[in-house]
Amino acid sequence: MITRQLGSEVRWMLRRPRTLIGLFGLVLVPIVISFGIWTAGEDGGGGPGLSAIIQGNGLVVPIFTLFLSLNLLLPLVASIWAADGLAGEAQHGTLRGLLVAPVSRVRLLFVKLFGLAAMSLFAVTLMAVVGIIAGTAFLGSDGMATLSGTTLSTGEGLVRIALFVVLVTFQMVSVGAVALAVSATTEHPLVVQAATMVTIIVFQVLGQFSSLDWLHPFLITTGFPGLVDVMRDPIPWDQIGDSTLLAGCYLLIGTGLAAIRLVTKDS
Amino acid sequence: MTTSTSAPVTAPAKTAVAARTRGLRKEYGSTVAVDRVDLEVPEGAVLGMLGPNGSGKTTTIRMLLGLVRPTQGEIELLGRPLPDGAEQSLPHVGALVEGPGFHPFLSGRENLVRCAAFEPLLPRKEIKQAVEDAIERVGLAQAAHRRYRGYSLGMKQRLGLAAALLVPRKLVVLDEPTNGLDPAGTREIRRIIADLHAAGSTVVVSSHLLSEVEATCTHVAVLHRGTVVAQGELTELLQAGGSALQVITPDVEKALSALRQAKISARPLGDGLRVELAGTSAPQVIETLVKGEARVFEATRWKTGLEELFARLTEAEEAERGMSAVDTLDGGRR
Repeated sequence: MITRQLGSEVRWMLRRPRTLIGLFGLVLVPIVISFGIWTAGEDGGGGPGLSAIIQGNGLVVPIFTLFLSLNLLLPLVASIWAADGLAGEAQHGTLRGLLVAPVSRVRLLFVKLFGLAAMSLFAVTLMAVVGIIAGTAFLGSDGMATLSGTTLSTGEGLVRIALFVVLVTFQMVSVGAVALAVSATTEHPLVVQAATMVTIIVFQVLGQFSSLDWLHPFLITTGFPGLVDVMRDPIPWDQIGDSTLLAGCYLLIGTGLAAIRLVTKDS
Repeated sequence: MTTSTSAPVTAPAKTAVAARTRGLRKEYGSTVAVDRVDLEVPEGAVLGMLGPNGSGKTTTIRMLLGLVRPTQGEIELLGRPLPDGAEQSLPHVGALVEGPGFHPFLSGRENLVRCAAFEPLLPRKEIKQAVEDAIERVGLAQAAHRRYRGYSLGMKQRLGLAAALLVPRKLVVLDEPTNGLDPAGTREIRRIIADLHAAGSTVVVSSHLLSEVEATCTHVAVLHRGTVVAQGELTELLQAGGSALQVITPDVEKALSALRQAKISARPLGDGLRVELAGTSAPQVIETLVKGEARVFEATRWKTGLEELFARLTEAEEAERGMSAVDTLDGGRR
């Protein structure tokens, strides 16, 4: 029963026109980045961090793409899915149908969270795969250069990419879980998207003020840059661990709030 | 306060009930949407919920389905309390509440498949067939492949009905099912309700269309200002509403004086008289009239239309008389 519900949820998400448009947009990012760096030529590189090693290094493209997208694009997509999941269903009157079926409210939240996670993993993986292909095609590939100056074998590079995919997905789902909590309170999907995006942007702005550094460890956006440590050799796990732990807290709090709201909600 | 009013109402019910509420109250902020609702839906009945807009029909239905939590009161659905027993009772309940709700970007059929995926009583293998059957049943076969976005109001309503009928149900709750339907569609809904009734399902239909209720229902509950002002079997309610004889006679004066002597109350009306049957019977009245040398052309039992009953129960000026009418109706039931 539960597998059938989860399957239906993912199929339903995949059938949405806006999901397809969103995925198409996400896929364009690594292609555009590869193309841009390729046309910029040798003098395009030389910036700080990842952009310094990306030239002639196709396997860095998926990491670079996801790293850039995590700041805005991926949270946006997660918030759209979270918004449609509860607020959107309430708006169309379909939430009533599910509840009368009946799907228990806790299970419904689980189904929604699963759909969000499955689609996030799918989207991030898709971006990574397209990134690998586009990066290799435009920039070539000879192993993976790391931020530590070493070069990893292609196989190990792919493992690093897979690890990064999982880490980024987890961050994305955590943002989505908080968005689900908002989604449980309203019938207007746009409110959910707006609230989530405003929060992400405000967090990033707050992260810029050093006078607020006591606040920074609590902002989920503070954890984003640390994830790029997967590109060091060997991997220093501290920051990755901290970021993931922080995201986990957001995930728990978001899910908890959503559950509390959903269980008592009149619909 | 609720126990004192609910006890006498529920006491005579020895027959099985599909749904029952006791002292139901729902507040939204400071407004009271529904108060002291003691509703009883006998098993196998077609219960029409009548009431003006805003009388609490939909709120009551939503509470009956566990969608809305009552502020106060108890609900029993198919023998189990809500919300705790919802997982056992709700699979047997089909509902169309507050208009059909579907995803605009999916076709009618795809929407039903999604609904079916969440039906606990429907095995995976039977989903496809159940969806086709439901589509066929509501006459939507031609449009099932089209996107819901492009459906007419009537088609949307049919699809909502199809979702409620995906699984054989013990109880079907239809909130304003004929909204937006043309006369042919309305007839079809009536046919479907009659089919459900014949198959032994209990049906709750809310409507503001009196003729619809009169045509399809066995039982009626009238809601007014968030509370039930009358409920019971339709025929009994109508009889209790007005027990009178309409007599057609050219000799009105003779007839009146004869009746007055026999202490039977009557008044002139149209081509004859309206005779109250309180404390007397139709044969007695006729006998009195004939003895009083009034020629009787025709004598018919005065039938209270649902419309008249409804008007009496819900008209604001007559709220008090309405309440007293409930008492006599309840008395008539026992």
